[in-house]
Amino acid sequence: MKQLLHLLIRFGLILSGFLFIFNLPLIVGIGENSIEIHFKLFWDVVKSDLQFLLQIKDAMYLGYIKELDIAGSYQYTMTILIVSLVSIILIAMVVAIFIMLSPEKLKDRLKSGINFFEAVPDLLVIFLFQFFVITLYRATGLKFLQLYGVFGEKPYFVPIVTVSFLPLFLLLQFLLQVITEEQNQLYVHYAKAKGIGRLRILLVHMIRNVFPLIVLQLRTVIWVLLSNIYLVEFMFNINGFTRQFEKIIYRGGDFASLIACLLMLSLPLMVMEAAGWLISKRIKGKEVVSL
Amino acid sequence: MRKYKKTIIGSSLLLILLLVSCLYPYYGPVDFNKQIFVKDEHGNVIDRAPFPPSEKHWLGTTRNGEELHWLLLYGVKFTLITAFCVAALRVILGGFFGMFLSLWAPFLKSYFKDFFLTMRYIPSILIAFVLMIPIVGAPNDVAISSIVTYQLIILVFIGFPSVTLFVADISDELFKTSFVQSSLLMGAGKIHIIKRQLVPYMRSYGILFTVQQILSTLQITMQLSIFGLFLGGLNRAGVFGYEDASGRQKPASLSNEWAGLIGQNFTEFALAPWIVFAPVLGFFLVILIVNMIKKELEENLNGFEIVKKKGKKKAVSLQSEKHSSSADFVFVEKGRLER
Repeated sequence: MKQLLHLLIRFGLILSGFLFIFNLPLIVGIGENSIEIHFKLFWDVVKSDLQFLLQIKDAMYLGYIKELDIAGSYQYTMTILIVSLVSIILIAMVVAIFIMLSPEKLKDRLKSGINFFEAVPDLLVIFLFQFFVITLYRATGLKFLQLYGVFGEKPYFVPIVTVSFLPLFLLLQFLLQVITEEQNQLYVHYAKAKGIGRLRILLVHMIRNVFPLIVLQLRTVIWVLLSNIYLVEFMFNINGFTRQFEKIIYRGGDFASLIACLLMLSLPLMVMEAAGWLISKRIKGKEVVSL
Repeated sequence: MRKYKKTIIGSSLLLILLLVSCLYPYYGPVDFNKQIFVKDEHGNVIDRAPFPPSEKHWLGTTRNGEELHWLLLYGVKFTLITAFCVAALRVILGGFFGMFLSLWAPFLKSYFKDFFLTMRYIPSILIAFVLMIPIVGAPNDVAISSIVTYQLIILVFIGFPSVTLFVADISDELFKTSFVQSSLLMGAGKIHIIKRQLVPYMRSYGILFTVQQILSTLQITMQLSIFGLFLGGLNRAGVFGYEDASGRQKPASLSNEWAGLIGQNFTEFALAPWIVFAPVLGFFLVILIVNMIKKELEENLNGFEIVKKKGKKKAVSLQSEKHSSSADFVFVEKGRLER
């Protein structure tokens, strides 16, 4: 019973936090020369929003969202997200293994090269790719890389590469750091002393132990990917999911649609979080057993 | 042992940039050498802006015919000042609130987390976008000062929960350490603990936080500008030569601040890439400098912690040795405590 109450309180808090955050512009109104604060208006709007949310049976409920091409665009955006996520993981793993196996001097140089990418702003990467595609088109006259999403076209290749460029280095940096730390573990020394090869230790033993950490880190990767996708879809004029979201905001769509859209957008993050929670629980459980 | 060479060099570079930009009215042309048409001696138009980078125009000009290097010099002060102010405010507010949460109201912490849970799941650019649209989305008659104040409030608000929670976590951690516990046992008040034990720690963390927040603020202002949400609002004059059917002009940044320059010109990219590349590369340089500072600070902090940890291990082993040899003492203490 107490747990149920606690859960209710939590749910209420999350909802009220949501309402508060998205109605903040109403509290801090702008006057001619000063910032004005009106709580009354804010309270009224919050109340009406809440009422709106509770009228699930109304035919108008989520009516706005039904007009838009939600399913198709959502599929498109999620395809980009998932394809880039999978390719990031694969490429980062392979590159990390190669870097770890390379000689010391080269390794240090490569590591500092990767660290350099930490500072590159995402817009610069997007612009550089755009520049590259345009020059390629100008030089060859062949349009084999679709860039803009005009006339309802949905390009895949360029957005995926653009979006996953920086997160790749983010994950790679993390992987290298984690594996380097793992190398000082006792079991690695033991395996080395037993005469097991470097590649085998890395592939069979260390990757397996590092894996949970990677899953936890993937949350950040998805976060960066999502905001990059948002930027890219806007800049390349692609009719993706974030476009629908924009339409809802610009045309004054209702609050329920906004919530639904945001929920759909943050769904992959929640899935990742759940996976991370499960894995960490499993590991902790194991530790308890082993103790 | 701790080195601050890079930090000093980096921050002085940024300071010089800021000073040069602030002194712009004393040496720079007011209209940024505005020149839209180039005419030959007969008065015929032979060329029009934007001009590519050349000896005459170092970084090229915008479509308005303004020279980019003057624009960049003029605008950088707004970018830097905003980033710094937002970061400092986030850290100060978040720091105070975080310490309050962990010391006086630990039960509130989980509720605070739930209240701002949305921020954890929705990329901050989306939240900032939704929050800024009503005020900055279109030109209006509001005074610049209130627009800027509003934008600052929103930018601070976006980073506030994460900083608060982080500070709360750190001060929770510090509270468990033996030196805080022992001074607590000796009867120190919470204010005293904050003053004597937490603040010295928080000072070095605070600087690191500020630098991190500067980075994130730079990133987010840049991203926001793509959506036409410029710092300081829109310029009524717009960009030359861009009018849609209803005579509405393409939005332009009022302050000529770097992010705004990127945002107002990114559609020009296919025709005149230099207009976008100049401010983006400028941003990149600033971010590179800030990142360099951040790294050095982090290294210093980490090195510090490693030294601390080593010290701690020794202390722990010493303690355990003492503990085994002084069992009688413990009994006496217990009796006294029970009484």
